[in-house]
Amino acid sequence: MRVILPLAVLVVALFAASLLIGPAAIGLRASLHALVTGEGEAVVLVMREIRLPRALLGLMVGAALGLSGAAMQGYLRNPLAEPGLIGVSPAASLGAVVAMQTGLVAMFAPALPLAALLGAGLSVALLFVLAGPGGGALALILAGVALSALAGALTSLVLSLSPNPFAMMEIVFWLMGSLADRSMLHVWLAAPVMALGVGLLWRTGRGLDALTLGEDAAASLGIPLARLRAQVVLGVAALVGAATAVAGAVGFVGLVVPHLLRPLVGGRPSALLPVSALGGAAVVLAADIATRVIAPDRDLKLGVLTAIVGAPFFFRLIWQMRRGAE
Amino acid sequence: MSLLDLRDLSVTRGAVPVLSRISLAVAAGEFVGLVGPNGAGKTTLLRAALGLVAHEGYASLSALPGMARARQAAFLPQTREVAWPVSVAALVGLGRVPHGRKMQAQDHQAVDHALHRMDLAEFRARNVLELSGGELARALIARVLAQETPLLLADEPVAGLDPAHQIRTMQVFRDLADQGRGVVASVHDLGLAARHCTRLVVLSGGRVVADGAPMQVLDDATLATVFGIRAFRAQSDGPVLMPLSVLP
Repeated sequence: MRVILPLAVLVVALFAASLLIGPAAIGLRASLHALVTGEGEAVVLVMREIRLPRALLGLMVGAALGLSGAAMQGYLRNPLAEPGLIGVSPAASLGAVVAMQTGLVAMFAPALPLAALLGAGLSVALLFVLAGPGGGALALILAGVALSALAGALTSLVLSLSPNPFAMMEIVFWLMGSLADRSMLHVWLAAPVMALGVGLLWRTGRGLDALTLGEDAAASLGIPLARLRAQVVLGVAALVGAATAVAGAVGFVGLVVPHLLRPLVGGRPSALLPVSALGGAAVVLAADIATRVIAPDRDLKLGVLTAIVGAPFFFRLIWQMRRGAE
Repeated sequence: MSLLDLRDLSVTRGAVPVLSRISLAVAAGEFVGLVGPNGAGKTTLLRAALGLVAHEGYASLSALPGMARARQAAFLPQTREVAWPVSVAALVGLGRVPHGRKMQAQDHQAVDHALHRMDLAEFRARNVLELSGGELARALIARVLAQETPLLLADEPVAGLDPAHQIRTMQVFRDLADQGRGVVASVHDLGLAARHCTRLVVLSGGRVVADGAPMQVLDDATLATVFGIRAFRAQSDGPVLMPLSVLP
């Protein structure tokens, strides 16, 4: 509670800021009035069709990445684990890239997120086949690394076969991750899949806590490890697959946010889950606002910004770790 | 009353038999020391008894569903790995996982009791990753104590502890047995095992080769054939056994 409340206030504030900041200079009262009542055509259009979906997606994508990062680190007992480790994110990207390349997107706009979700789903099925039903964390990581490499290579293949440079540029920009020009359709597509993921991960807290002591001790405490693994993998896949489908690859949030917030909850994986979801939402909302404020006319990419801001944070963590060890 | 019942328990890894037809029953009030050289199958026996490795034959605990088993038997693995910087109290509190989702008054009481027993009361708020190896080992023992199960299985619980805490831990286990619970612990220190256990089971090559009262089990013949050592024996407020030299 000590940590959740301030974080929740921060998320609400950033969500409001995301609604109110944009190239169309609309007054505070006018924008809120339009959003709620639907009066005033142009303003309503901006608020309901552009800013509201963007703010909602920032909230959802950020929370999804933060939550799945915390679950993944808890399950693998490793602070360097990140949700992309199981190969879902590159597979979702591959699905989206194929949809763009084949021209499906031009005919049917939702084809992109749908193809990305399909890619994520296929990769999870393959992951379970590769890692086996019982196997421990190591088989899972290896299978994830192999799948990531394959999906990455296939994406490069599609790019290199691209017939014209403009199509290629469009794909490359999409891969960088962004929340610009999304619609409520994206929100409705991602929401049920993400809700499923949250539902799956929400129940893992006790098992993740027990895993603090290692797999044998957790099993002896009555935790069904095979079920826990399935819950974590499916939950993370649903959240990251949906997030990638609507926003592209947004890196570093799932890695850095749980890591930064862990000391504030006394290290307990179960306590970290909700806190990390809020933290992820705050970071993505803030980064998305920053892309609009820093370079309003240049379309700065969200994924690029989170990596540029996230990496130095990580440098600092490594630095502190080294200083602590010496 | 039997707390653990193993009948014809066998474990094979690939084509290699690790345990061969082990039959063993542990009753309330017993502190069973599991002794044997490296690779005798002590760890595998403890894990198979809980159903953590695939096995043939009957093991009373591994037949139970997970949570019910966790209220029946607590297990202290040999590896002392703790992944996250939790407090000592939170670590010990993990022993209460099988007893329900929310920590209640009796759970906090169990944690306090276990911390006190392992001499860790003033460490409760400390980050476990900042403890010394021996302190961490004691915190992990406190975790299994907090589980408050009729049976306790421990894999080399006293390895790496200072002499005072080795004796104290063995005494805690013995007290639990005297209070009507059961303890099975693998121990390498034959002197500690002989002095504190009520019964010793000697494993060698995946088989039980001796089973009974400590000083009868650890006779010259068994020490020579199983361990390849010779030992000095005496009595001083209980049995004393000191390994002396390796036999040629």
